[in-house]
Amino acid sequence: MKRRAINWNLIKYEIRNIIGNIFTVFFGVIFPIVMSLLISQTYKSQVPKEVLPKMMTGIFITMSLISPMAIILIGYSANYSQEIEKEIPLRLRLFGYSEKSLLISKLIAYMIFTIISLLIYSFINIAILDIQTPKLGALISYMLSLFIITVIFFILAHGLAMLLRKYGPTYAVTMILYFAFMIVCGMMGVKVNQLPEIVQSVAYTLPMTYISTDFVEFWEKGNYNFGPLFLSTIFLGIVSLVILFFGIKRSNKIKK
Amino acid sequence: MLTIENLKVTYGKKKALKIDSSICIEEGDRIGIIGSNGAGKSTFIKSILGLIKYEGRISTKLKPADISVHMQYNNYSNFMPVKYIIETILNTKISKNLELQELIDFFGFRECLKQKYSTLSGGQKQRLTIILVLIQDTRLVCFDEVTSGLDFETRQKLLEKIIDWYKGRNNAICFVSHYYEELEQLVDKLLLIEEGEVIAFGDKRELFNKVCGDSLIILENTPKNKTLLKGYNIIKSPTHLIAISCKDIRDEIELSSLLINNDINFKRSCNDIEILSINAINNYKQMGV
Repeated sequence: MKRRAINWNLIKYEIRNIIGNIFTVFFGVIFPIVMSLLISQTYKSQVPKEVLPKMMTGIFITMSLISPMAIILIGYSANYSQEIEKEIPLRLRLFGYSEKSLLISKLIAYMIFTIISLLIYSFINIAILDIQTPKLGALISYMLSLFIITVIFFILAHGLAMLLRKYGPTYAVTMILYFAFMIVCGMMGVKVNQLPEIVQSVAYTLPMTYISTDFVEFWEKGNYNFGPLFLSTIFLGIVSLVILFFGIKRSNKIKK
Repeated sequence: MLTIENLKVTYGKKKALKIDSSICIEEGDRIGIIGSNGAGKSTFIKSILGLIKYEGRISTKLKPADISVHMQYNNYSNFMPVKYIIETILNTKISKNLELQELIDFFGFRECLKQKYSTLSGGQKQRLTIILVLIQDTRLVCFDEVTSGLDFETRQKLLEKIIDWYKGRNNAICFVSHYYEELEQLVDKLLLIEEGEVIAFGDKRELFNKVCGDSLIILENTPKNKTLLKGYNIIKSPTHLIAISCKDIRDEIELSSLLINNDINFKRSCNDIEILSINAINNYKQMGV
């Protein structure tokens, strides 16, 4: 097994792997576009014309969260758990690719795919919906937040796949998480403040909630209290790291 | 090239493999590794590759880059055309790599390159990994049950290709298989493992002589044959056969004449690995008792 460093072929391989999974393409690229267009059409007739751009901006921001969740949380965990089940990472390791190279190439490939998916989403939404022009600071914060959340989802998905090690249970858990996040964080049409109090308290521990509820104001005004968003991001990050830690521990135990 | 001494592998409390004596793998060795399911054959390979925790010592000057392996189960992405799998794993372009092209043609694999991995047949999947392993041309190559699950014809063709490829080459090969006839064609040394213990290791012919004598006469197990061969040195064999150990050529000629005169079909062998392993295990167990 000749040692092979991370290379462009490996990253292309991972991107092909993502594109080959029709569910990732559908839920990560097509579904957010369809959802944003459908919801905006539904609400279009129910709100006064002057608040329409703000409402559409809100929908645009909220629905953009679906892409990283579907691509990374569901798509990556499903793909990687399947690979673990079939011992593909071991096979590639025996051909000289270190676990680190494989992991980095996957991260890069998924980031590229998520960015492309968000670009497609943005272009279509901007072309069809009446979206407000953001303040520069808000736009940078929004993109940075999406990037950090995507990385956290990657850690969470990797940890879950390593911990559960089988496609079935991993897919079930991530699907539950996906829909739970969508409902709790106000992505299913029901606003967070309309949810029961106990669900609201769960919602405010998640950064997606702040993005979907607060960012529309921030988008327009350009100033925002980052405290709660920052804390909730750290919280989700720590939970994901703990799951990754146990996943690695289980994985090492199995190797022995 | 590689020496294994006092190796012990356990899975929980269960002993998976125990090697008390020393096993040396030399340059150019063709070692057949045999034993029943769960005997410890794959554990042996995984120990060499450092994939499992073991006690004891495996000393070698080989670097990881000098060892390649065809595992018992080899999987790749189902969504991917095979061409991309090859190009990614080897970090090369097939169109620019003449050696790889030669190997692909040698194994008749060109028509599979555009197919997705999931659509390949069992034999084609095995050929893919074999190509990926052979192209690396490492000093030590391990094949763990390459032909398991394939039909007779595919198995035979695949083995012929592997034998052809390694003709005149000096790579050491460890070949795990349940098919004795494959090992008869390919290997010159045998490592027999049973229930995690090494039963025998050494030159195939020397082991045969030690366990089975100079040669074997093998015939059908019928009451008539059994009666006729009373008094001969019958050794253990598969139940449908009778195997008689001949200590020299005179023994062999005498027995052959008897069988010919009685119009009985028989087979003569000096390398029957199946009967060799049955008797080696039997002798080992008797020694243990």
